Amino acid sequence: MNQMKKTAITLNVNNEIHEVMVYPNRTLLEVLRDDLHLTGTKESCGEGVCGSCTVLINGTPVRSCLTLAVAAQSKEITTIEGLSVGEKLHPVQEAFVNHHAIQCGFCTPGVILTAYALLKENPNPTEVEIRHAISGNICRCTGYAKMVEAIKSLAEEGR
Amino acid sequence: MRLPAFQYLEPTNVEEALSMLHTHQGAVKIMAGGTDLLNRMKLRLMEPAFVMNIGNLRNLDGIDIGNTEIIFGANTKLKEVAGSMLVNTKFRAIAEAAFQVASPGVTNMATIGGNILQDTRCLYYNQSGIVLNGLERCHKRGGTICLAVKGNNRCFSVYQGDMAPALIAFNAQCVLQNKTSLRTISITELFAGNGVTPFAIGPDELLTKIIIPEPKTMVGSAYRKLRLRGSIDYPLASAAAFVSATNDGKASACRLVIGAAGAAPKVIDGISSEADVEKMAQKAYEQAEGINNLQLPGIYRRKMVSLLAKRAIAAAMGRIKEGM
Repeated sequence: MNQMKKTAITLNVNNEIHEVMVYPNRTLLEVLRDDLHLTGTKESCGEGVCGSCTVLINGTPVRSCLTLAVAAQSKEITTIEGLSVGEKLHPVQEAFVNHHAIQCGFCTPGVILTAYALLKENPNPTEVEIRHAISGNICRCTGYAKMVEAIKSLAEEGR
Repeated sequence: MRLPAFQYLEPTNVEEALSMLHTHQGAVKIMAGGTDLLNRMKLRLMEPAFVMNIGNLRNLDGIDIGNTEIIFGANTKLKEVAGSMLVNTKFRAIAEAAFQVASPGVTNMATIGGNILQDTRCLYYNQSGIVLNGLERCHKRGGTICLAVKGNNRCFSVYQGDMAPALIAFNAQCVLQNKTSLRTISITELFAGNGVTPFAIGPDELLTKIIIPEPKTMVGSAYRKLRLRGSIDYPLASAAAFVSATNDGKASACRLVIGAAGAAPKVIDGISSEADVEKMAQKAYEQAEGINNLQLPGIYRRKMVSLLAKRAIAAAMGRIKEGM
């Protein structure tokens, strides 16, 4: 068995600095959920396929299940908890609520973060672009139509 | 799924990375985006003593435009390759291949170098411990049998990278560095052609650059791929075509590269007259290995390789006409 040493790492999550002691084999997903108790980020497949563990690193959606926590230092990490301000939902979250774009809700954090990043990069995406952007976020309730409508509503508003 | 134990190395520059590779030769796995390596480690297919993260080495990143070539740093993200205007206009098959890898959340992380150097795959190998414990050890796991082709004395695992076929179609070269030297070879030479150890790379070598010569004549190119789920999967059959044309737009030569058809992409050269396209597609069918070791039957995948070859060549020829 390989002897591992815990190291102290500093993570910037939702603009808060966290110091955590971790083994190098811990994924960012594990540290977010188990150490920082930010359980909005979900684990499903654990192999980068489903997108439920999506977080933003420097604004880009990535798979936190395939990211080492030690490798995520000195980067800005955004989880679903970082979008709302207190009780006030972010417009993307509001749009998902208003369009009933949530069924069981398990894929929702990943989809919302992906949509948020898409709209930042391209404030007026076409339906094709929206569908491509969220194509790596699997919804087993298959509620894609409502999600696309929700994201489209924001595109049309140009927010 | 938890990762096995390892020691973490994070070099701050290429020299340091090469020196770490030299020191820990054979015991270290290189991680760029991590999307291939960490998966294999979670399944315990690999349990390296060291993982070296080169993902933060910025000088291995980005697309450089030279006078007669373009150069991809090995760390360039597939998203950047797929989104680059230059790659889309001049090296279309490469952009198409990058666009079709997995899904955006993965191509935001995965790199061109990592995609090229992904290990071969097989339904009897890429499985969790629970499944593998119930199977005899195959060639790929250090045993002496093949579970896909019963009784065969070699490994039939399949190379399922998307980028290599497209890059080979463009005659790309790559730069490999170790602590003391540097060599530039054709990407085809990276492949050993054997499923157990698919790459002919030294344990101390690092892939740093991919160089693509700018075509001198008018060219068209395309990449076509078969997968079960359009938004996620590895290719189950693929074809990249590169057609060069004379000044009046007549196709003069065609290079076809087929993927997911064996342990390495296979090159089929031909002149792309109409009759020749059929011949090339036939050759693609003959050269493709159709083994029942991926998600679709081997015989079907072989037929699809041949069909995708025709489609890729037709699309490449169409682009020459568009460009005129």
